[in-house]
Amino acid sequence: MIPAQFGYTRATSVAEAVAALADPDAKVIAGGHSLLPMMKLRLARPGTLVDIQGLPLRGIDDSPSAVTIGALTTHAEIGRSAALLGGPLAAAVECAASVGDVQVRNAGTIGGSVAHGDPASDAPAGLLALDARIRVTGAAGDREIPAAEFFQGAFWTALGAQELVSAVVFPKPAGGGQAGSAYASFEDPASGYPLAGAAALVTVQGGRVVAARIGVTGVCGTPFRASGAEAAAAAGGDVVAAAKADLAAQDVFGDARFDAEYRRHVAAVVIGRAVERAAARAQGGAQ
Amino acid sequence: MSYVGTDQPRIDADDKVRGLTRYLPDLKIHGLLHARLVLALDAHAMIVSVDKSEALAVPGVVAVLTAEDLPTAMEGPMRQFVPLAREEILWAGQPVAIVIGETEAAAEDGVEAVVIETKPLPAVLDLEAAIRPGSPLAKVRQVGGAMEGSAAMHVEAASADDEAAPAAPDAAAPALSANAVGPHKQEHGDAAAALAGCDAVVSGTFRTSWVHQTYMEPQGAIAVPDGTGGVTLHSSTQGAFYVRGMVAKLYGLEMDKVRVVGESLGGAFGGKFNLIDPIVTGAALAVGRPVMLHLTRSEDFASGMPASATIIELEIGGSKETGLVAFRSRILLDQGAFGDWAMDGAVPVMIGGPYRWSAWDSTGIGVVTNRFNTGAYRGPGGPQVVFALEQLVDELATKLGVDPLELRLKSAAVAGDTGCDGAEWAAVAGREVIERTLQHPLWQKRGSLPANEGIGVAAGVWMGARFPSAATCRVDADGGITVVTGAVDMSGTNTSFRAIAADTFGVPLDKVRVSYADTATAPHAPPSGGSGVTYSVGQSVRAAAQDAKEQLLDFASDQMDIAASDLEIVAGMVQPKGSPERGKTIAHFAEQVTGFVAVAPPIEGRGRFAPGNPSPSVACHIAHVRIDAETGEVETLGYVVVQDVGRALNPALVRGQLQGGAVQSIGWALYEELQHDEDGNLLTGSFMQYAVPRSNRLPNIEIDYIEVPSAIGPFGAKGIAEAAVMAGTGAMANAVAAAAGSRLRELPMTAPRVWRAANAG
Repeated sequence: MIPAQFGYTRATSVAEAVAALADPDAKVIAGGHSLLPMMKLRLARPGTLVDIQGLPLRGIDDSPSAVTIGALTTHAEIGRSAALLGGPLAAAVECAASVGDVQVRNAGTIGGSVAHGDPASDAPAGLLALDARIRVTGAAGDREIPAAEFFQGAFWTALGAQELVSAVVFPKPAGGGQAGSAYASFEDPASGYPLAGAAALVTVQGGRVVAARIGVTGVCGTPFRASGAEAAAAAGGDVVAAAKADLAAQDVFGDARFDAEYRRHVAAVVIGRAVERAAARAQGGAQ
Repeated sequence: MSYVGTDQPRIDADDKVRGLTRYLPDLKIHGLLHARLVLALDAHAMIVSVDKSEALAVPGVVAVLTAEDLPTAMEGPMRQFVPLAREEILWAGQPVAIVIGETEAAAEDGVEAVVIETKPLPAVLDLEAAIRPGSPLAKVRQVGGAMEGSAAMHVEAASADDEAAPAAPDAAAPALSANAVGPHKQEHGDAAAALAGCDAVVSGTFRTSWVHQTYMEPQGAIAVPDGTGGVTLHSSTQGAFYVRGMVAKLYGLEMDKVRVVGESLGGAFGGKFNLIDPIVTGAALAVGRPVMLHLTRSEDFASGMPASATIIELEIGGSKETGLVAFRSRILLDQGAFGDWAMDGAVPVMIGGPYRWSAWDSTGIGVVTNRFNTGAYRGPGGPQVVFALEQLVDELATKLGVDPLELRLKSAAVAGDTGCDGAEWAAVAGREVIERTLQHPLWQKRGSLPANEGIGVAAGVWMGARFPSAATCRVDADGGITVVTGAVDMSGTNTSFRAIAADTFGVPLDKVRVSYADTATAPHAPPSGGSGVTYSVGQSVRAAAQDAKEQLLDFASDQMDIAASDLEIVAGMVQPKGSPERGKTIAHFAEQVTGFVAVAPPIEGRGRFAPGNPSPSVACHIAHVRIDAETGEVETLGYVVVQDVGRALNPALVRGQLQGGAVQSIGWALYEELQHDEDGNLLTGSFMQYAVPRSNRLPNIEIDYIEVPSAIGPFGAKGIAEAAVMAGTGAMANAVAAAAGSRLRELPMTAPRVWRAANAG
């Protein structure tokens, strides 16, 4: 639990942080709750840490069209955000509240979590279901990447070598009908990470579900949309059965504790639960 | 004023809450070097070479040591005598080399640069296959001319463990490979005939996994050479005197050359018995400077000494009229590479539980494998056998058509019954505990539960260690009373000693100081384990306080010219009986015997005790669970511990002990499992993979203890800590069975296992 030697610099501006990333061995550190454990185990050996904690990338901005969350906003802050609570973006709150334990949520940030690209983290499910965009900043300025394109594999994202995540943008659901979202997960009792986590955004019209977006995390190397289950939900079909078919197409993780067959099963269960709860919320019901 | 029997916060609670307690790494030692371990990657291999050159070139690295570099004076078949792998690697995680650096980081850098070349051997991992004649051996190297895995090894191993009594190997048993230790047999009557005559018989094969003690503070020690060939060892240990003896033996030192100081203990649960001390001592002696080694969590998982996995075959029979009648068992217990603390000799007795049987045929076989080595963990062997026995008792009750607790009540052993070791049961309150459990509201609720919920019960017993001990009690010049023992305070024992001394002497609690002394100066003390400290040392403290009190009264009698028998000590004042107005302070007398010139010798009481007989403690646990039918996840909704504690010296501490036992039982039952792959690599070597019962997964745990006084322990107290884990695995298994409608034969009862059991067939 002793990291290899590393250098440290504290960025005073976004431009300075981006410039520091010209060094290929440099790595951004925010809350440090993913990076530091990997460094202590010597699984990560950055030459220099670029600390961005002092940068003005913190806070939640609520506009008519979107909720924008600064990269340095902690999971705890998102978990109690008035802009998200109780509304159609509630799944984002539930994802944040499911991360780690109190200490991790108080120090860990949404930007760090997203940039890290851990396939077992909670956040990607909500980002996919809610059609979020990841705003990244590089030498040429900002660009926004849809969540579906951002996550490309285990610990592998569309983030460029000289870019940092600066915000996450959740568009507010538009169009007719009522929207509701929910996140359901089955946690590993050891790590607390989801063995399977599913977020659903459901639109209800005339008392029935007409559309659904479902993001799934924890199950395989890349978080994905459960398109079969989405179609089944929109058509009033069997969501869990359709989810099983979605999962059959994925290269699902498996180990001695939780084999792939079991993980597929619980993933289908949590997809069903997320859709059910999101639909109930869209219809103004409890939960 | 009596303090015994009242809630008292722990003496060290305030310091711990405020972060003032100093643990091992907080000690400031001049010239301290830091050690890190190089752990084996192979599960079984011969060491071809260890290349230290690159590591020695790392800046700050002082030395790289292998087995040959340690100044050991002997070799032996116990882990404690093999601080580093010698020629043969016996499990993935065995320490092979020590890198010593000026800083911990330098040592860690050095560890990465050590190159170990090995020649792999077959890893012996399957218990059934390992004991078959012709199986590859888990250890091929001979020690002292004798093959490892021999019965001789077990005799030595068992002698290290005060709870295990080895049985003679049975010449008529089927042939076993040299990986087998034993068989250890316990027999009484004709079990086969008795089972044939029973109204009902049930049987099963049960599997339990390796479980780690997961103390909060990993293993650690600092060894400081004294410049004259001796060493002072600051250790996070349960047994300072035990460590002194074993380390002195290993390095060929007189006992006075090894001074062991037990430092603040961040938990132990049986796992901190001379595991790290031989390594650190050897390193410090080799380099001639102070050395600290404090394991990381992953190192502790990989190289520690957890509780054994078992495979238990059990068949029990009984009748409606007489209850339990007879059983047959065969228990395979995975010793790992070393059986220093293995219980294969004891489990054939323990599997009889707190019951009276008329016939039994019970066998334990230790199996040497390439996984860890067996350590002690709270109630060693108990959670495993309880899981098997208590499920079958429930199944038998169902088959006989009787209430499961009534069956247990009818079968509870009482004083004078023959135990499964052939000895008579000491006074035991199994009946009282079961009767109390029968009346508990949670148990009575079991028939009216929603779907997917279940309530289960189980009973168990722990006999308790019978360590000898001593203590002293001094009266200081200011009238304070100082109790001195060499017992490491693992679970709040100093707080109980304070109350015992205060009540015995007749002084307020704040006048009593409890002092821990190291092996150079302390009265003899047993290791803190076996539920034996309060039971034995508590009585020595009481005797020492009584002795000191009598010395004080004798001196006061001379000074006041009143017969000692007419004096009393009340609230810290020495006074003629019933005349507080003529009382004088204890300090008044103490000053006169502690100055430069004194008319009488100082007051210094001595107490010694050897309990002789045990005072077994019986526990019943009631568990209430709900199963998520879709995922198999088990949620513990409620939990009750009923236990006979003899006398609760400090009810707050007793409740804490019993709650901790319930929590660890739930851990055994639902979560904890050290798993290896087919090559013997540890898969669950961190808290990312090794699940423990976290607070958010635990229910309120209700403690409902009863007090049936011991005739031996202080103020009637019994050893309580280990009985608290002797029922939980069974209660949880019975609750899961009630909720799921199907039984699990394997621990832990993880969500996938419960889901599969419910969806099988």
